[in-house]
Amino acid sequence: MPSVLLDLSGIQKRYGGVTALRDGNLSVGPGEVHLLLGENGAGKSTLMKIVAGMEHRDAGRMLWQGREAAFRTPAEAATAGIAMVHQESLLAPHLTVAENIFLGREERLPFGWVNRRRMVEQASRLIEEHHFPLDAGWRVERLSPAGKQLVGICRAIQHGSSLLIFDEPTSSLSGAETEEVFRIVRTLRARGMGVIYITHRLEELRAIGDRVTILRDGATVHSGPLAEVSTDRIIQHMVGREMVSIYQRQPLAPGAELLRVEGLTRRGAFRDVSFSLRAGEIVGLAGLMGAGRTETCLAMFGVDPVDAGRVFVDGRPARIGSPREAVAAGIALVTEDRQKTGLALRLPIAYNITMANLREISRLGVIDSRAQNRVTAEYIARLRIRASSGRQAAGRLSGGNQQKVAIAKWLFRRARVFLFDEPTRGIDVGAKIEVFEVMDELARAGAAVLMVSSEMQELLQMADRILVMRQGRLTGELPGRTTQEEIMRFAALEPECAP
Amino acid sequence: MMQPMMQPMMQRLLPFLSLVVLFVALAIASPHFLTETNLSSVVRQTAVINVMSLGMTLIIIAGGIDLSVGAMLAMCGVLGTMAMQSGMPVTVGILVGLLAGLFWGSVNGFLTTRLRIAPFIVTLGTLGIIRGLTLIITNGLPVTQIPHSFAFLGEGNLLGVPFVLWVVVICALATHVILEHTRLGRYAFAIGSNPDAAVYAGVPVTFDTTMIYALGGLLTGLAGMIEASRLMTGQPSAGNGYELQAIAAVVIGGGSLHGGEGSVIGTLIGALIMGLLSNGSDLLGISPYLQQAIIGAVIILAVSVDELRKRRGRAEA
Repeated sequence: MPSVLLDLSGIQKRYGGVTALRDGNLSVGPGEVHLLLGENGAGKSTLMKIVAGMEHRDAGRMLWQGREAAFRTPAEAATAGIAMVHQESLLAPHLTVAENIFLGREERLPFGWVNRRRMVEQASRLIEEHHFPLDAGWRVERLSPAGKQLVGICRAIQHGSSLLIFDEPTSSLSGAETEEVFRIVRTLRARGMGVIYITHRLEELRAIGDRVTILRDGATVHSGPLAEVSTDRIIQHMVGREMVSIYQRQPLAPGAELLRVEGLTRRGAFRDVSFSLRAGEIVGLAGLMGAGRTETCLAMFGVDPVDAGRVFVDGRPARIGSPREAVAAGIALVTEDRQKTGLALRLPIAYNITMANLREISRLGVIDSRAQNRVTAEYIARLRIRASSGRQAAGRLSGGNQQKVAIAKWLFRRARVFLFDEPTRGIDVGAKIEVFEVMDELARAGAAVLMVSSEMQELLQMADRILVMRQGRLTGELPGRTTQEEIMRFAALEPECAP
Repeated sequence: MMQPMMQPMMQRLLPFLSLVVLFVALAIASPHFLTETNLSSVVRQTAVINVMSLGMTLIIIAGGIDLSVGAMLAMCGVLGTMAMQSGMPVTVGILVGLLAGLFWGSVNGFLTTRLRIAPFIVTLGTLGIIRGLTLIITNGLPVTQIPHSFAFLGEGNLLGVPFVLWVVVICALATHVILEHTRLGRYAFAIGSNPDAAVYAGVPVTFDTTMIYALGGLLTGLAGMIEASRLMTGQPSAGNGYELQAIAAVVIGGGSLHGGEGSVIGTLIGALIMGLLSNGSDLLGISPYLQQAIIGAVIILAVSVDELRKRRGRAEA
């Protein structure tokens, strides 16, 4: 076995006038989990696409198992033993687990028949051997995100890959599912496979990685054993400047109550949820995946109907049967999935920023385009949205800048109650800090902020109070200066055991 | 730092150049092309599809589709001419046709938004219903004996050019203003680009979608009256297959069937390209059978070029 599986040096790639990669270097050996880190737009995905045959390099050298290689298609890379585990989207949802594992590589009988029985047998054996919680006959559309990734991993193992590339495998997974992915990655490593692992979650680095490569602005800025570099140093390499490692927020005295929910219940999602938000306050909402946090936000915003309970805005009962009514009542929801529910990606930034408040810049239904341009320029500057102009399609921005556009929409709507659902998901460290700054500014300007987050560290940094949900119920309310252990006690333990 | 939001001319440069090239080529190839008679006949022939495809532009941008416009055109023409036949003034007859279009457009909008049925299915259904009702109302016979003054709409001249040219220009300007400068138009883009995000932003999605279909119906009603005026009959079988031509015009002009993309200028260019291809084939003696194949090929060509352009744009992001 060669000591180095893949060796990249000086990889360059340009798209038109934009340089995506100037100097990509990376080297992975067998039995190694190699972390690939960097902010959004640093070139991680481009580098991996080049390895997996989805893009072609302009310059640089790629050695695969000691030989110069250039894969023209993903199929060529797969044949050579390189597989990329994508998030769910690249599976055929209506086919079974076994069919997906063998998709495109079915054992063919004469006349194009497929040997289904043998396919199911082989898939079952593979699943059993690795103790995967799957069944070869299940339809993929019914699997959880974690299950879908397992199918992708099975595909790679079945096809005899010796290098597996994971692109943010845990970004949509719960804690338990993340552990499962880690276990599998360790098994693969023990069998001598090389693993390249892209992640944004700095807290999971140490649980999984052996070596680390950090990209910044299209170039490798650091590469070496993980044990030799501190997390602070990693952040510094990623953002390229000294960073206050913990965002410090000065809490302020809360004002009048802006929003109160009483006994909010939606069968199958959450029960008897009551709390209030005051002006100038940032309240955290913690809990494990499936605790009902997002569902509570969606109900407060009028997306899902509730079975019982009331919402009060400014002390008066409010009827919120649709997002339209919620918006009219001054409530804003920065959704968990900005691509799906937060932004119209193909439309210009200006359209997105003004979408919730066109009334203010139009008369008799006609939009004043000068006012629109003024507003757009104002929010681009205020939130430091990095865009070529307000006419740029929102989908062309990086994750962090997209999130800022989604937030700008509600700032311009002059909402007073902000529900942030996982506001930092999938955005890089620099953008996270900027999102925090906006949240802080909002609170200072007298808004009430509810922050749902699975990153407990972020809640501890930001929140004045932290509410904890478990299995659809509010199980605790903690002061902002609490500890992760304390939150976990309410989030994960049976109520009897909690103090 | 910001320029006008959309520059459809720039974005649609390629279709526009194709149109110019086609125009010049035809002017060279046929001595009859650049004559007043021929050009005004092109204007008159394309007016119906032009007006209809303006409505289709609105609907497609909002992420919908309307397959019933061909049938709707026939019913509007029939009802309008029947009103005139029964002695009502011509203007009232035209109004009847427009209202019929508005009504059926609203029905389509209502069904897609309230029953949440895909517009393809809804309008496939209303296509059958409207065509069937039209045949029942007329017993399958054309409506005739219409006042002569009605011919002015389709065949008359105003200020030296065909009257329908004014109609088309006014409708195009109005549609352009709605799309680019009003809330309704902006919401159409938002709904077509990402309906969920539009709902979450508090956009009145149900109402505005219905409005868009109603406007599409209104324009189809007008197209129906133009068609009736040109034929001087209310034909229950009129407009067969026009829905596909209208969709083709939008798509050639850069509209996306996924919604959120399209422009009035693009659609007009698309409709004109198809009109010139058909006129040119006539002048050059190309068989009408081959014409259909040529137009089909142009649709595929236009859309693939547009896709390539978009893909390159995405890669630069």
